[in-house]
Amino acid sequence: MNLDELKQLLQLLDEREIAEFELEEDNLKVRVRKAARAPVVPATAAPPPVAASIPAPIAAGEASPLAPAPAPAAPPPTSEAAGLEVVKSPIVGTFYRTPDPNSPPFVEVGDRIKPGQVLCIIEAMKLMNEIEAETAGEVVKIHKEHGQPVQYGEPLFSIRP
Amino acid sequence: MFKKILIANRGEIALRVIWACKELDVRTVAVYSEADRHSLHVRFADQAVCIGPPRSLESYLNIPAIISAAEVTGADAIHPGYGFLSESGYLAEICEACKIKFIGPGPQSIRMMGDKSRAKKAMQRAGVPVIPGSPGVVEDEEKAERTAREIGFPAILKASAGGGGRGMRIVREAGEVKSAFKAAQVEAQAAFGVPDVYIEKYVEAPRHVEIQVMADSKGNIVHLGERECSIQRRHQKLIEEAPSPVMTDKLRRRMGRTAVEAAAAVQYVNAGTIEFLLDAQGNYYFMEMNTRIQVEHGVTELVTGRDLVKEQILVAAGESLSFAQKDIAWTGHAIECRINAEDPVSFTPSPGTIRSFNVPGGPGVRVDTAAHEGAEISPYYDSMIAKLMVHGRDREEATARMKRCLDVMVVEGIKTTIPMHRRILDDPDFRAGRLSTKFMDRFQAPKRGS
Repeated sequence: MNLDELKQLLQLLDEREIAEFELEEDNLKVRVRKAARAPVVPATAAPPPVAASIPAPIAAGEASPLAPAPAPAAPPPTSEAAGLEVVKSPIVGTFYRTPDPNSPPFVEVGDRIKPGQVLCIIEAMKLMNEIEAETAGEVVKIHKEHGQPVQYGEPLFSIRP
Repeated sequence: MFKKILIANRGEIALRVIWACKELDVRTVAVYSEADRHSLHVRFADQAVCIGPPRSLESYLNIPAIISAAEVTGADAIHPGYGFLSESGYLAEICEACKIKFIGPGPQSIRMMGDKSRAKKAMQRAGVPVIPGSPGVVEDEEKAERTAREIGFPAILKASAGGGGRGMRIVREAGEVKSAFKAAQVEAQAAFGVPDVYIEKYVEAPRHVEIQVMADSKGNIVHLGERECSIQRRHQKLIEEAPSPVMTDKLRRRMGRTAVEAAAAVQYVNAGTIEFLLDAQGNYYFMEMNTRIQVEHGVTELVTGRDLVKEQILVAAGESLSFAQKDIAWTGHAIECRINAEDPVSFTPSPGTIRSFNVPGGPGVRVDTAAHEGAEISPYYDSMIAKLMVHGRDREEATARMKRCLDVMVVEGIKTTIPMHRRILDDPDFRAGRLSTKFMDRFQAPKRGS
């Protein structure tokens, strides 16, 4: 993203009156949070994406050659703002965003959801478990990728009620 | 050999399995509840998966979560440790169905030996001496009284589905039987959900002497000698030692042979322990078989120089036993004290954070523990925090060594049973090796006179 593109992005956010915005791509991470009128843009060249804040790394299928990082005291610190509901995995399994390989994902970032709406499937022991939303709101962040293993208590979705 | 073993347990035994895996160059997966997020077994395993909230039922006893964790990490074997699911025929069966190797015997052996009356019958058929008793569950109080008269007094009524002293009544004469039977049934129903009660001859003040066996999948079965575990409180062992102070070479050969026959009779594979009651005349009777690695396995490791957990893994991977009976020799004397987070007098559990922790070292000392400074001893799991073991050239040296270890072991921030162990080690009956399952009753009885 070059400077022009960034300017366009900011203009777009302003027009749409979006209060908070986060974008990650390649070596760039942009987070915008509106305070008063002028948005503050900390645009940093982020290091290559690393799953740094997960307490207990699960390398799907492969053993990590490194010793696991000492587990932090609280659930993984994310860059979530206050006021967001975090949907956490109730079981151990594999996270799927789609009902089957040929269908689109249940939800995307920006979608408005209702209580009872299926957000994802977690497969455990060949059983597909549908994970439903408990609150209404907007999907702000999806924490895991399609096909990744998840453990008990791991954040899956951040919802703004 | 396995690529990756998931350890379905926590605490010191999870670490113990990790040690064996590291030495065998096998990757490990730890599973943990939210209460154990900072545990050492989580830290030292190659991978770790959170499987549930603190309650055991939702975590360490949660079979779907454990199997799912094995699937997502690609573990090809599960070691169940002791306690928790280690004697769950159901877990063993599901592992078989999911093509994950359960490191232990097969589900049939687990189920047979887990049912006390079935186990006893199987042993009788195999010619293993058993305590005279009712053929099975006693139907009613009339039968109970008749059976007790046949067996002879004193007799004991026991719950078929459980142990730990519940659903048990001792009767010393015929007139006591009917009411004791009804009371035992009620207690058994409440404790285990099943009112089944059977009757046995009651052996007064016996010694609890158990024999360690190890079997491979090719029919080789070896015994590794005995452990004396008579010092128990409410059927929970406190101190174990090997050899037993009253064991002779001849008795060990006989008991060892019996234990091997018992294992063979049920086509047993992997590590197991046959528990016997040994009376003052040198008669021994089968009590039960534990189809898992036990807490006190380290005592046998110290006197035989063998690594039982490694052997479990090798056997489960299909290898033959790495030793034959003639290769097993016993050297010196080993004692273990189970250090619990409990008040040393009242035994009230003492959970909390360990502020200061120092384990003894020096010659002949082995400490198996997952505790450390800053460790949170939570109320969700059992209270054992360390296994303090010593080895010496004889019982006297081992006793002196254990005493000095107890004197210098530091655990501050919680109460522990270290002072209790220290007093036991000074007890004249202990020093003389005069042990029986009545030891703790006598030891704890209020002193008469001065």
